[in-house]
Amino acid sequence: MALDGVDLDVAEGEHVAIVGTSGAGKSSLLRCVWRSYLPSSGSVVLHRTDGTSVDLATLDDNTLADVREHEIGYVSQFLRREARRTAVEVVRASARRRGVLDQAAAGDLAVKALGRVALPAELWNTYPVLLSGGEQQRINLAAGTVAPPRLLLLDEPVASLDPANRGAVLELIARVRDSGVAVLSVFHDLDAVRRLADRVVRLERGRVVAVGHPDVVLAAAGVAS
Amino acid sequence: MGADWALRVDRLGRTFGRPGPRSEAIVAATDVSFSVAAGEALGIIGESGSGKTTVLRCIAGDEHPSSGSVWLRALDGGETDLVRLAPSQRRTLRIDRLAMVYQDPAQGLRLDVTAGGNIAERLTAAGWRNFGQIRQRAAELLTRVEVPIGRMDDLVRTFSGGMRQRVQLAAALALRPPVVLLDEPTTGLDASVAAGVLDLIRDLLEEWGLAAVVVSHDMAVIELLTRRCLVMHQGRVVEAGLTDQLLEDPQHAYTQRLVAAARG
Repeated sequence: MALDGVDLDVAEGEHVAIVGTSGAGKSSLLRCVWRSYLPSSGSVVLHRTDGTSVDLATLDDNTLADVREHEIGYVSQFLRREARRTAVEVVRASARRRGVLDQAAAGDLAVKALGRVALPAELWNTYPVLLSGGEQQRINLAAGTVAPPRLLLLDEPVASLDPANRGAVLELIARVRDSGVAVLSVFHDLDAVRRLADRVVRLERGRVVAVGHPDVVLAAAGVAS
Repeated sequence: MGADWALRVDRLGRTFGRPGPRSEAIVAATDVSFSVAAGEALGIIGESGSGKTTVLRCIAGDEHPSSGSVWLRALDGGETDLVRLAPSQRRTLRIDRLAMVYQDPAQGLRLDVTAGGNIAERLTAAGWRNFGQIRQRAAELLTRVEVPIGRMDDLVRTFSGGMRQRVQLAAALALRPPVVLLDEPTTGLDASVAAGVLDLIRDLLEEWGLAAVVVSHDMAVIELLTRRCLVMHQGRVVEAGLTDQLLEDPQHAYTQRLVAAARG
């Protein structure tokens, strides 16, 4: 059993980080929310921008695809394969999926988003597969935040970044939260958790064992600061 | 099922032959239902013989289904079941409301006609009469699918496989039909050529907001082009879901085998 009876909530403008050892179920939990994993039981309720609520766990595929495109950003460790699209095209396509239909406007947003993740301009017209893991990760993050979603899911968004780029990405994540987006994240990097998270949920073998302020939860877990 | 569908298929079935004392009817497809919205691509994946192409041919009108219904929003706002139409009426739908792109370009094109001529045939079928306008539109379409304009007056027979597929796309989409059916559109092409054609398909679907049904045995094609997908096995839909969910968390044993084979 990957996850067992997990309850959690994230408010608008709140950042909740999931921590735990490898295999505790952190990524599985994010994937259940994104629903690339089908939850075996339970519900995942999203309060939508239009005031209605939907259960992502049981929502029909058509509506789920729409909700994902317009209201949920999912930044995983790996770039979704968009073969033969340059960095700026990947981000622009994401903006268009979020409803910015005008090519020029989507292009402007893409350039701004790539600037925010501090990707050097000379890489914007390169194919992501030719870039380093850290560069790909930042393109992925730019695509996830190009037009702010209602809920942003982050799976190890700084795992392969050097310190300077890590700083830029953490700042971006903080700004996204401040703009009112609900953020649910998985980090190995506990320093990032302390800096960014409003609350921490600690998982152990698929169960929630602690919820609370980062300092409290991490200290109780015996994690040295 | 979304209310804004462009194409809707309900309990479609296709059986060959009748059951007799010594033989059973062959069920090519049974109880297949789905809908596709404008701007959305739906994948149908399965092995050879799973019934996926039969489903597509029944929608296109190349075969007559044994049961079930097919509705097209572009025909009477979706009030009329295509299956009940006379063959001649079905054929007129293929002019500008429902396009089919075949794996073999020879099925969707006339090889002994020029590239421009193949496109012109579609336009004249829709009532275009001005020669200059027809040539100009054909040139625009060929440019869009990246066929050199200098080859407009060459017979399609002289084109490479990838080029033929590009011409077939230009002809099928010449009148911007709202729904396009694609049957293994890149199977049989070299990897790099297939990649180019796939990119073109993806861009055209996005740019023109078409509703598409993509049939393929190739997970990579389905992953690149579609957001939702059906898995067919022995004529039945065994699983349906968002494409990334089917790839990451396949539920049916058959889908699990398919994914394992593709990733292995």
